[in-house]
Amino acid sequence: MATVSSRPARQLAMVFDLNKCLGCQSCSIACKTLWTDAPGMESMWWNIVNTMPGGGTPRDVFSHGGGYKNGEPVPGTFPPLREFGEAWGFDQEATFASGGKAAFRPLERDGSSPEWGPNWDEDMGGGQYPNSYFFYLQQICANCSKPACLEACPRTGLYRREEDGIILIDEERCHGYRFCAEACPYKRIYFNPGRVVAQKCIACYPRLEAGVAPACVRQCPGRVRHVDYMDNLEGHPYKLVHEWKVALPLRPDFGTEPNVFYVPPLAPPAFNEAGEFDETKPRIPDEYLREMFGPGVERALETIQVEREKSARGEPSELIDILIARDWNDLLGPFTANPAELDRPPRGG
Amino acid sequence: MTAGTLTSVTAERLGDASPQLLAPGGTQWAKVSETTVSLAPTPLDAQPSAYVQTSWAGRPYGALASVGLSAVVAGDALYLRLRWAAAEPRQAISDNDTYADACAVLFPLDGKTAELATMGDERSPVQGWHWRAGTALPFVITATGLGTVSRVPDHPVSVGAAWENGSWSVAFKRGLGEQGVPLTAGASVPLGIAVWSGANSERAGLKAHTPAWLTLTLPK
Repeated sequence: MATVSSRPARQLAMVFDLNKCLGCQSCSIACKTLWTDAPGMESMWWNIVNTMPGGGTPRDVFSHGGGYKNGEPVPGTFPPLREFGEAWGFDQEATFASGGKAAFRPLERDGSSPEWGPNWDEDMGGGQYPNSYFFYLQQICANCSKPACLEACPRTGLYRREEDGIILIDEERCHGYRFCAEACPYKRIYFNPGRVVAQKCIACYPRLEAGVAPACVRQCPGRVRHVDYMDNLEGHPYKLVHEWKVALPLRPDFGTEPNVFYVPPLAPPAFNEAGEFDETKPRIPDEYLREMFGPGVERALETIQVEREKSARGEPSELIDILIARDWNDLLGPFTANPAELDRPPRGG
Repeated sequence: MTAGTLTSVTAERLGDASPQLLAPGGTQWAKVSETTVSLAPTPLDAQPSAYVQTSWAGRPYGALASVGLSAVVAGDALYLRLRWAAAEPRQAISDNDTYADACAVLFPLDGKTAELATMGDERSPVQGWHWRAGTALPFVITATGLGTVSRVPDHPVSVGAAWENGSWSVAFKRGLGEQGVPLTAGASVPLGIAVWSGANSERAGLKAHTPAWLTLTLPK
């Protein structure tokens, strides 16, 4: 039986700062152009950013089962393509024939109008005006320490690299059974119907091997993403996750121990009926943040608030310095090589 | 045509020099006897994945009770035809959550001995011919245990398939002297059969199969 009993020698980890993401999808496009531009991959977004609270990608992303409960696998489903969002065409002829009066409409493969897609409910968010709120949630494969995908495969079609804990699909072994996609509670595994194989984020491992940060990290204009090995005690992931405890796993109740962590969103307090801040009421409901990031979220937000105030007073704050990342290279851990300067640069920039 | 539940099947020799037997619904097959072979679901506790065991607990699979087997030697080739009822055929993988109908025949790789329940082991591998709806070429697979199936890159097996009147008919062909399981005129070889129902999301070890080897005898 395929089980994972031991941890890899090293584990790559990332931290995404939700307070800095602009929702620009530069990460998504960097990934798309680098890895998923081949036939059969049109609808794949190995990296995707969704507005939260929201439906996510696929629709109702966290409600399809998978992961573990009390150590036992939880049955999951793999939503159909339309729930992820197909690679739409556009009704250009109708728009042209109408002299530009007809709306330029996206079309599904069967000619119908789409009903879902990546970041479909962009900027809708939650709450009621004036206490409405939203934040952007970036998702890639989290290379979980207890990977439900890998353990679900009956034929060892996935494996974990000893040198960095990255989980890869062996496309020679994969027979397209898709138990992995069902078992991933984050729904970060896609299916290539032409090749009948599962495909997913590969953490840009060929770039890592050349000392280059993953494309989504390097291309982020908001300096949202930090990457390093978790055993580097001076690295940002270690400091943010284990020392400052401000970076938290997404939906830790799924039980897969993901290695992508999030600095939770710190919103202003809610307005009261007089239109003034009510310091006792959070804008983003505590229960929602606890559901998303676990019981450590309130303490994490308090820490960030305290350190922000210190920094605002002109006092030094290691935490704020890390999160600001004044030197871009500080985000990249040991992966600071510039792909343009390599003798044989990997694909992408 | 004769019918009955048997555990041994003798291939018939067809004198036609240019058989059209890869057309599984063709008239030549109508002259060949068909044996009804009983199938049963594979055991859930043998599935090599805790996830599969958990997610399929209490969920029926492998419900197809029987498959019709016909065997012919024509020229220098063996033809095996499987025929089974499929009211809701799945003729291709069309989406993330759709699965194609499929079938396979299995042999000990040496043509003599292997464990069927485990799909072979390191010392006694098995070899199979695997057809999946929507593909023109069959897969030839070898295995040394559950979860170890690997595909043989170049092989001499061909397949023809048709769905008609609520049934699949799938015919495999392999030259007797060609690479793979020894197929010798006058000799017998153990044979297993498996069928996957795409409509029921069956794939991997979730299938209807022959719990024990049949014996296939080739004519002299």
